[in-house]
Amino acid sequence: MASVSELYDVGWEEMRDKLRKWREDNCRNSEQIVDVGEELISDHASKLGDDIWIIYEQVMIAALDCSRDDLALTCLQELRKQFPDSHRVKRLSGMRLEALERYDEANKHYDSILQDDPTNTAARKRKISILKAQGKSAEAIRELNEYLEQFVGDQEAWHELSELYINEHDYGKSAFCLEELMMSNPHNHLYCEQYAEVKYTQGGLENLDLSRKYFAQALRLNNRNMRALFGLYMSASHIAASPKVSAKVKKDNMKYAAWAGTQINRAYKLAGRGTKENKCSMKAVEEMLESMQITMS
Amino acid sequence: MPIQLTSQAYCKMLLHAAKYPCCAVNGLLVAEKSKERKKDSHGDMVLCVDCVPLFHGTLALAPMLEVALTLIDTWCKENKYVIAGYYQANERTKDSRPNQVAEKVAARICENFHDAAIVMVDSSRLTISCFEPIVLIYDHHENKWKSREVTSETFEDWSEAQKITSALLEGRSYENLIDFDNHLDDLRNDWTNPVINKSVLDLC
Repeated sequence: MASVSELYDVGWEEMRDKLRKWREDNCRNSEQIVDVGEELISDHASKLGDDIWIIYEQVMIAALDCSRDDLALTCLQELRKQFPDSHRVKRLSGMRLEALERYDEANKHYDSILQDDPTNTAARKRKISILKAQGKSAEAIRELNEYLEQFVGDQEAWHELSELYINEHDYGKSAFCLEELMMSNPHNHLYCEQYAEVKYTQGGLENLDLSRKYFAQALRLNNRNMRALFGLYMSASHIAASPKVSAKVKKDNMKYAAWAGTQINRAYKLAGRGTKENKCSMKAVEEMLESMQITMS
Repeated sequence: MPIQLTSQAYCKMLLHAAKYPCCAVNGLLVAEKSKERKKDSHGDMVLCVDCVPLFHGTLALAPMLEVALTLIDTWCKENKYVIAGYYQANERTKDSRPNQVAEKVAARICENFHDAAIVMVDSSRLTISCFEPIVLIYDHHENKWKSREVTSETFEDWSEAQKITSALLEGRSYENLIDFDNHLDDLRNDWTNPVINKSVLDLC
């Protein structure tokens, strides 16, 4: 089998830089990380300098995802040798036990870290992940709430909690978590758009109105967010079609929906330029927009 | 009328699950619209010729699901298809039962197609060799979703489905599978998956 460097014609520096980019973006493309990382470690370890330790960590976690326990153990052993008393490495040992579904042992690892260092957030989050893996969603939610009372600024945790709530269909509480995220990240269009989706799902005229406003806000922050555009179209259309709204509200929302519809058509035309296949999508979108107009009026 | 799966429908479901091993995934199954609906057509199989992968990750939010259902319904009408089923693979491999999301979407599909089925993918049994079918099929009987035994009869041609799915999994074709989420990220991504469809055809 050809090596990564042969297949893609890259040198070790590019491979190292690619791994760094994936680390920074927190990507979970584990198969690729294992392919690139394994080759980098086995062929170019000496050139990596101190970078090698963080690469071992990254590759180890990816290897767990791919059931490559052999590779994971190799990386772990190198890290243990270099950092014998490290909590960070101990957490990796715990993750390996999790991957092998030895949850009780993993929990013991994390508990011993927490005994030494009660503020160790990584160990606490791993314990919550174990609850999630075991399907104990209610407990995971409870533990995560307790965690957030102490570590109010942990955005990753707020986002995780919002997703746990969505899976339990508790849209109100999920919205609360997203509100926290929007407050600390007012320019993040993704949080706005997700909040709008949750409000829309929650249902009811008031929530639909709120969802329309936040879809619009997401578009203001990023006018290429297709979900926000579709969301604006759907929410405005539903409001306009509701028998409970005043004539003015109906008229305004029909205007918003019409604007969104035009933008959607435009976006599809731009995307479809030159490709024959996309014409089918474009036609489907046009028809969809037309059919919704009919139900609206 | 119980559903039957073609190789294309089966392999695209599994490719979708394989592309996102850490997430729940879902999608729609489409069948050819039959011209005559005989009164006593119970017992005839409904052949699901294709599937449209929808989302990965969070499946329980309404707006994009509505957009997808409406858009795909329109596409179906253009191509003389009908949405005949819904598939889902849960986030946790140990859990392969249909949840509230599955039941809600399937109920929606049932409004247009009376015998819609839920197909759950059992990811705990996903292997490259595909030596056994890993889907569970649920039909709606008396307000409940009941599972039905899956045999090689559930497939138009099981050995072909097995051969094609295994080959595509091994060749990592799932990296190129497009779902509706990918389409929303970049409209040029085609959720009808013409490239994968061609690979399937080439392997037949």
